[in-house]
Amino acid sequence: MVYEEPVTDYDHIVENCTCAFCGSNCDDLDYLVKGNHVVAVRHACRLGASKIMEDEDQRLKVPMMRDENGELQEVDWDTALDAAAELIANAVRPLFYGWSETSIECMKKGLELTEYVGAVIDNQATICHGPTVQAVQNVGYPLMSLGEVKNRADMVVYTGSNPMNAHPRHLARYSVFPRGWFRQRGRFDRTLVTWDPKFSDTAKMSDIWVPFEENGDYAFCNAIRAVLKGKELKEDVISGIPKQDIIDLTEAMKNVEFGALFFGLGLTHTLSKQRNIDIAIGLVQDLNAYTKWVLLPMRGHFNVNGFNIFMAYQMGFPYGVDFCRGYPRYMIGETTTVDLLNREEPDVFMVIAADPGAHFPGGANMHLANIPVIQIDIHWGPSTELADIVLPGTFIGVETAGTSYRMDSVPIHMKSAINPPETCREDEWIVNELYERVKKIKEEAK
Amino acid sequence: MTYVDKPTVSNVVKFDDPKVKKVKKITVMLNTGTDIYQGACKKRGSTLKDEYRKVAGVAYMDPKDMARLAVGNWESVKVKSDWGEVICYAAHSRDAPHEGMIFIPKGPWANVVVSPETYCCNDPTYKGIEATVEKSDKEVLLMADLMRSVYRKYTKNEKNVDELPSLGEMPVFTKK
Repeated sequence: MVYEEPVTDYDHIVENCTCAFCGSNCDDLDYLVKGNHVVAVRHACRLGASKIMEDEDQRLKVPMMRDENGELQEVDWDTALDAAAELIANAVRPLFYGWSETSIECMKKGLELTEYVGAVIDNQATICHGPTVQAVQNVGYPLMSLGEVKNRADMVVYTGSNPMNAHPRHLARYSVFPRGWFRQRGRFDRTLVTWDPKFSDTAKMSDIWVPFEENGDYAFCNAIRAVLKGKELKEDVISGIPKQDIIDLTEAMKNVEFGALFFGLGLTHTLSKQRNIDIAIGLVQDLNAYTKWVLLPMRGHFNVNGFNIFMAYQMGFPYGVDFCRGYPRYMIGETTTVDLLNREEPDVFMVIAADPGAHFPGGANMHLANIPVIQIDIHWGPSTELADIVLPGTFIGVETAGTSYRMDSVPIHMKSAINPPETCREDEWIVNELYERVKKIKEEAK
Repeated sequence: MTYVDKPTVSNVVKFDDPKVKKVKKITVMLNTGTDIYQGACKKRGSTLKDEYRKVAGVAYMDPKDMARLAVGNWESVKVKSDWGEVICYAAHSRDAPHEGMIFIPKGPWANVVVSPETYCCNDPTYKGIEATVEKSDKEVLLMADLMRSVYRKYTKNEKNVDELPSLGEMPVFTKK
């Protein structure tokens, strides 16, 4: 690492911008702007700063389509939009995936389009916190706002998540380090606990690290629940943790004033999937017989929670909503993206503000090689390598204003600081334009 | 500076440890997930660059496992599971010790070997996959080349995709 001088060469500062990276939605960032470029970011973590000061080389700036040799060629907006609308209008089972890195305003247009063509609409929750949403439907949601944790929590537990890598400012801004109303000494007034098989970067700075076995989360949480209910543990070691340690930990958790449990994809991606979360929620409910405990999933993208809230509010279902019968249907394992791709059902795939090429298992992505893919995004990514039509969008929170929902379901306005590149269009405009063009094609065919 | 050549890893693999028994192949549990280097590089948009294969095309391993396979930091290994095989770098894990477990940050390289099976539960199994690791002398592919060689969307008729010239580290498209 070399020492770098602070950036002093800028025109003006735009204060209190909202970060467009993770579900923490830090809304205290200052952008240093010079000549319509963000040259430096204050207060952001490594992740936020790197996203905001993007790689200009790979910015998608012009609409593109594949020619007969499979090479991308620059085209004008009308040609690209007409070709995309044609594909959507003639599709039997279109699938619109993504939405978590765009604004609620864009989702609204997307939902209109989905309903009109009878498509499936789904977001990144389908590969991350989908099981969490199912568990919430199963057993409830003892949630809070992050401000409560900051002001009250004296024990914070992270399980199956590594916020020092994935949400770097979460501990600093909301949960462990900040001084709160009832926790005047900040970190010193709180106990940080990590349950994780790995000695992760969060575990390294925790007061207590509980290294249960891989896939051991279900048994471990159940053991704590058994101890809470006064049952005797019959085995000496459960999920790799000695019995006495579990009893001591349970006692410590019972005797705090306010505890918060944050969980991540370590729970949703292992074999027990939503049942892990069922038990974690059950554990928090049981702890409330003794003291106040709350729980919150660590949502990954800045608006992944927003899509779930928006869809649940509009259509009654959080994600994976299928309109092929003319009314919304939601069936886990049937109308969700990875299952649809595994069964090779969709015949047109539109991806907006997401990167299935980078994040879907190869087995599911194989079907994207057989069908036309429309991409609306800001960067050239792995999905561009599979895309037939590329429509360049704008950067929410930097170039375009919009609404997003933080991981604790607090809506936040994200303002714009600079102008988008001239050849790009707002996501909302693109989706609306596709809707208008699809409508025209469908009505002409009647 | 947020740009890095490659993640910083410690270099403590003891190849001459007499207690370590050399083997050709080991069976491990594969986990994938996010990592701060991968996250920063991916969301900045630098996915075509060499940096992305150094941060996402890497298997973080326990140093004892690396000694058993006789691989050093940033040497190639072949990771193979029931769903496919991929060449990636080996590197000393920051979270070691975790013998018998490897971690590949999420990305196109990990995707080749993770399970698309959702058990009717929408979420594919990204963690806890049985895999084998062995030393390889092949080079780790850049993202664009990897996507071409795995999915072959626009090279269906090519007989030997791996012999085509590399797509490089910059976007390839025809300007108007």
